[in-house]
Amino acid sequence: MSHAVFWILQDMLAVLTADALQVSEIFLLSLTYSLLTKDRSAGVGVIWAAFAGGLLWDLRWIGIPGFFTLSYVGVVLLVIWVWNALPLSGRTSSVVFFLFWTAQLLPSVLFLLVPGRGLGGAGWTLFAARQMFAVPLSLLGVFFCERHKKNQNN
Amino acid sequence: MFTRRMTLEWVHGAAAFALGLVLLGASPNFPFLRTLVDLWGNVLAVLEYPAVMSREFLKDLYFWSRDRNGLRRQLEFLQDENAKLQITNSVLLAEQIKAELNARMEDARVTLREPHGWWSEVRINKGQNDGIIVGLPVFQNGFLAGRVNSVSSFSSWVELLTSSSLMIPAVIEEMRELGVVVGDGEGSVLLTYIPKGRGVEPGMKVSTALVSEILPPGIPIGTIESEVTASDSGYMTYKINPGAAASTLYGVSVLKHSRETMR
Repeated sequence: MSHAVFWILQDMLAVLTADALQVSEIFLLSLTYSLLTKDRSAGVGVIWAAFAGGLLWDLRWIGIPGFFTLSYVGVVLLVIWVWNALPLSGRTSSVVFFLFWTAQLLPSVLFLLVPGRGLGGAGWTLFAARQMFAVPLSLLGVFFCERHKKNQNN
Repeated sequence: MFTRRMTLEWVHGAAAFALGLVLLGASPNFPFLRTLVDLWGNVLAVLEYPAVMSREFLKDLYFWSRDRNGLRRQLEFLQDENAKLQITNSVLLAEQIKAELNARMEDARVTLREPHGWWSEVRINKGQNDGIIVGLPVFQNGFLAGRVNSVSSFSSWVELLTSSSLMIPAVIEEMRELGVVVGDGEGSVLLTYIPKGRGVEPGMKVSTALVSEILPPGIPIGTIESEVTASDSGYMTYKINPGAAASTLYGVSVLKHSRETMR
């Protein structure tokens, strides 16, 4: 349910900043946060949430079903793979930051390939502007993950 | 080592990815794609309404701000232009007045000054044929020297300020006090009927007050020189240092009527 709220928030921000800014992947941020903090059995649900969110984003914004769907699912699988591959001692704040940042970066790179919006248009400018928001958002994600870990330890 | 949970995640992940690929591959040929996109757009339109309104508001705010700045710049430009035009207009008006005055000024030469009426009148070599009429002011060095009191075809008689029979209403410019300028018939010019205790001081300027259209107000006469007498009725008489030198009158100027006044 919370993912749906973040999806709508991202959609509203996209409407608000239409043509002026590439909105950040708040939805993916919430999915990544779930993968890194919640009970690991939530992984399957997050995969299908990413699929549904990506598909709805495709229908709303680019009209090519599967484009962002693949991207979102790919990011989620990447996060699962990296997180599972790391031992508990290796799951540091910098790794968490890297995963959040990757979740912001990959869809942005893919967005450059969207016909008429990407490389040919003002895609690069929008891409650069989006990265300015990606770092603070990733840091915010790290902050919440650390707080969650601390609460669990207590 | 792969656990059951991890296997499940990878199976679901692979399935979702594969489905995504199928969708991507099939989307160009999907018959109801546009309908689906429109339908989803309509559903979201309700949720997006606040964002759309906010965007329109921000857009309006931006354009309003931009227009306002533009209008302010335009206003400043117009104000500046207006100030310059006013200065230009004043300069042109001053030039026009100067040209008009020059055209109305008629230079004349003193042709006769009788010894028995030395301080009373002089004759000049301009008359009716030159546009001279009775009452016109006569100047020397830019100061009032007298008024025309009789005219013939080719000459006129000018009654001087020093004449005891010529009375001209005048004003002390610094204090707007009104009085009458009159001569004593012996070469001096006096300012009379000034109430006592008004603080009149030497050096104050005296000019004509509004009398008639023939003798306009503001024509300089001279400056206050000294206090002469005080009458019992409370009025003072002052001696004036006239700007026009009555003892050395050789050439004078007559301010003729403007054409508008002549009509």
